[in-house]
Amino acid sequence: MSSIVVAKKDFRDAMRSRVLLGLIALFSLFTVGGAFLASRVSELFDSGGGETTVDLILALQTPASFLVPVIALVVGYGAIAGERESGSLKFLLGLPHRRRDVVLGKVLGRTAVVAVSILIGFGVGLIGLVAFIGEVSIVDYVTFTLVTVLFGFVYVCIGVGLSSMTRSTTKAAIGAFGLVVLFWFLWSFLSQALLYVVEGEFLPDTLPDWFLVMNSLTPDAAYGSAIAAVLSDNQFTVASTYETAGLTDGSLPVVAEPWFGFVLLAIWALVPLGLGLWRFDSIDL
Amino acid sequence: MSSIDISAVTKRYGTETALEGLDLTVERGEIYGFLGPNGAGKSTTINLVLDFIRPTEGEVRVFDLDAQSDSLEIRERTGILPEGAELYDRLTGRQHVEFAIESKRADDDPDELIERVGLSSDDADRKAGGYSKGMAQRLMLATALVGDPDLLILDEPSTGLDPNGARQMREIIREENARGATVFFSSHVLGQVEAVCDRVGILRDGDLIAEDTVDGLRDAMPNETRLRVILDRVPDDSSAALEAVESVDGVSSVTPEGRTIVVACEDRAKTTVLHTIEEYGVTVEDFETDESSLEDLFMAYTSDSAGSTGVVQ
Repeated sequence: MSSIVVAKKDFRDAMRSRVLLGLIALFSLFTVGGAFLASRVSELFDSGGGETTVDLILALQTPASFLVPVIALVVGYGAIAGERESGSLKFLLGLPHRRRDVVLGKVLGRTAVVAVSILIGFGVGLIGLVAFIGEVSIVDYVTFTLVTVLFGFVYVCIGVGLSSMTRSTTKAAIGAFGLVVLFWFLWSFLSQALLYVVEGEFLPDTLPDWFLVMNSLTPDAAYGSAIAAVLSDNQFTVASTYETAGLTDGSLPVVAEPWFGFVLLAIWALVPLGLGLWRFDSIDL
Repeated sequence: MSSIDISAVTKRYGTETALEGLDLTVERGEIYGFLGPNGAGKSTTINLVLDFIRPTEGEVRVFDLDAQSDSLEIRERTGILPEGAELYDRLTGRQHVEFAIESKRADDDPDELIERVGLSSDDADRKAGGYSKGMAQRLMLATALVGDPDLLILDEPSTGLDPNGARQMREIIREENARGATVFFSSHVLGQVEAVCDRVGILRDGDLIAEDTVDGLRDAMPNETRLRVILDRVPDDSSAALEAVESVDGVSSVTPEGRTIVVACEDRAKTTVLHTIEEYGVTVEDFETDESSLEDLFMAYTSDSAGSTGVVQ
């Protein structure tokens, strides 16, 4: 398998990046911080041990859903464009690899890199959890970690997909961080603005389905839904905030259902990757 | 059977034309030198052969396979030293060679290849980010040799190499050719192409202006050399010395410039000229010849007076 050969080489190469080491350190800091915060919160509310793992995961979900995309995009945006820019792509494609094998190999290699940083970060978080709380539901924690790796994979696909479409790493970086800004800040603002335009008020008594759908669409929301699905705990979904506030009519649209998070994650992974593959196959290097 | 067959290929970038209706055939088993100044379209041609870029018009075939749809099979049988290719800064030299071996599913010994191109095993353990241009070029050649390819494509292989490195490169090219490999290599330096090739194609502004054997090329080259001889002092009997040099067979003119004598002569007369001067009690400190430049060669092939039979169009 040609893409496995590329992936192995790429993993070796990317793991030696200093930027990555910095990001892993930062990520570990957040998980320990999250574990500490979760322990404080659980002390305040005096909930039992079974609850605290979920509390911790809730506390980790926010930094993870911000930092994992950043790590994955930093790791992914230069994957192809960087090699085109430097000229090493000519070395790589001078060897018998199909262009699509190169792209897929990059996705695999860089996903492995992101997975390693997530495992290190969450491993440190686990130590923090044991230290601060003392009781952990390992199964929940491992499940959460796996879903987070999947989430990392999605953003690697987005990053590598973008990277395959341009000759310039600057453009790929702008694209990647444009997406972070879009999903993190603009999306909710846009949906809120749209809500006002359609409903005539910022906070109607019952939120329309399309609003719940729109807010469940982003990869970050899909990540929350997927966690909710595997932990059977709906408080991780975007819609749950509105549900708790009594702003829904009780039934959720399919897109806002927890299990649909996996469908959305798949779409977010495959569409940018497919576009990147198609584009990269047809261009002059 | 031909190894590379380029027919009526045009490559345009927007309004700019890099190649115009290029026809070029590299026969199996030959060393083909692809000569032309920088920017003539040599790398464009090689990139088309490797499917790094696609032709606007025309067809490129390698081993009688389509360069685009069968590119993978072509690259399995080809060793490539691309121009402007960079190594992976964070991987060692040996890791590069190992990667090439794994990619080609070959069973070469990386250390053997590394030694063959003149790198030490200490060099091989270092990260390629710290390599000089010449070391990088050697390493790239090592990866090109992996799997005993049927075709070697070398784009400006002597870039960054010192004269000794360039000589080693030529030796390897000859060895590979003796093994049965076809070699296609580009250069903007006439001397390198002349030293090793069977046949030469000359490219200028995207046009193949001539294709010839190396012997034909030598005939077409301006055969007069200007020899500058620097002496330790002006000879005591300088006029007699100048006369003696002038009378050497093959010398057409002699001009003294202080301690330096400029002699226009045929190539074969060079040694005799130097001996003759030394008979007048002076020592030759240094001498240099003006090599025929590529421009002179273009003139020779494009002007009517050349009358070479190898000229196309």
